[in-house]
Amino acid sequence: MTPFYVIAIGALCTLGIYSILYRENPVFRFFEHVFIGVAAGYGFYFIITNVLHPLWWTPLVREGKWYWAFPFLIGAMFYLIYSRRLVWMARLVMVSFMGLFAGSQFKGFITGYVPWIRSSFQPVLGPKPPYVQFTNLAMFITLITVMSYFFFSISHKNRTVTGSARVGRWLLMLAFGAIFGSTVMGRMALFIDRVAFLLFDFLRLPR
Amino acid sequence: MTPVSGERARHLIYALLGLGTAAGLLIHVRQPVVVTPPTRSLRDSIQALPRNKLVILSIGWDVGTRGENGPQTEALIEDFFRSKIKFAIFSFASPPGPTMAEQIADRLARKHHKTYGEDWVNWGYRTGGVPMLMGLAKNIPRIVPQDLYHTPISKIPVMRGIRDVHDIAMVIEITGSASLDPWVGFWQGVYGTKLGYAPTGVMVPEAFPYLHAGQITGLQKGLVGAAEYERLVGVRGDATRRMTALSYDHVLVIALIILGNWLAIRAARRRQEPEGQAP
Repeated sequence: MTPFYVIAIGALCTLGIYSILYRENPVFRFFEHVFIGVAAGYGFYFIITNVLHPLWWTPLVREGKWYWAFPFLIGAMFYLIYSRRLVWMARLVMVSFMGLFAGSQFKGFITGYVPWIRSSFQPVLGPKPPYVQFTNLAMFITLITVMSYFFFSISHKNRTVTGSARVGRWLLMLAFGAIFGSTVMGRMALFIDRVAFLLFDFLRLPR
Repeated sequence: MTPVSGERARHLIYALLGLGTAAGLLIHVRQPVVVTPPTRSLRDSIQALPRNKLVILSIGWDVGTRGENGPQTEALIEDFFRSKIKFAIFSFASPPGPTMAEQIADRLARKHHKTYGEDWVNWGYRTGGVPMLMGLAKNIPRIVPQDLYHTPISKIPVMRGIRDVHDIAMVIEITGSASLDPWVGFWQGVYGTKLGYAPTGVMVPEAFPYLHAGQITGLQKGLVGAAEYERLVGVRGDATRRMTALSYDHVLVIALIILGNWLAIRAARRRQEPEGQAP
């Protein structure tokens, strides 16, 4: 069970951060810097104790796996960007990593996004229930009109293209509204979590 | 409006929001929770899993999104314990995530009399991103040689026979950031591994193309999705208890949007009226 003084510190930090809702003030500034400092310190500590020490230092030094020295050398080469004479070595590792990343992303794109394109081809007519046909039709119209809005190879002076692009823009606005609605829900959920912490963990009111 | 009245209005809105949220949490009003198809689909796919394989509960969240991802994780672990599904807590996106999820699992394990190592395992955080996930698919003990408590994986009973991606029944990504793509691109897309997704509310609209394309089998939509899942499991947890507060907040926001627009329209009409005719 968490000791009460830890909960009290948490409550103090929460109230300190929320003091910005009243106005900009030194209390908020203090807790903001505390938060940034704690997060950075924790990240540094975590990387040392959970990544570098068990996964790199221990195999290299205690288990005698000498080849684990190479990741250190490759990593250190990044810092040669500060040397005019040896900057080519930094570029070498950078382009290698860019190539590796681009290659893996290409594979990820094929397996990740091609199914999206495939699933956008849905039958508007056929032996499907009416609500499925309606959904497919709505998706077809949305896809065509929104694509026409972003299609700049044809002049948007043409009446058909203008009309389609306008419908596409309206549909985009509807989508943005849905996204914003979800955003409000998400932000409220985070606020509710903090209020629940203050009420039930700090003030110990009955749930 | 003058700047002073604007500031007062802002303070009033925050006060109303705080009071509404507190009232929603303290005054229990049972609300109907309607289960939507994406949540039902997630539950159905979990229930259909073979019990001799492991589920990876990928934790992509930390304190910043605990308000949503915490109840989602709780609802899923509750279901795993009840359904006798063995799982591994793991993260490649959030260093503190596995520790926070472990606290939830530990609390629920006491309730269900479950034992660490036999009913679940915590692989902890692993760095390396996509290349690490590609390696994990081919050789799990090599990528995860020890658990969160530095116990060798070979000595943990639940890990017996778990070698590669084919011993994993499903991966469920619970996240507040864009950490689904690596699973889709390098596990589901390559090996056909079942994927479930529990994002925060902000990310829900972007999740539907994955569902539509069949890349994920189900979806828990933020806090509401967690409440729906609790309804399916038959438990009244944090998510369900917070629904009243969420509803109060939403009603308040809608009312304020209507009020704000009405005031803006009224002010615009007054400006358009010729001087001397204004009431």
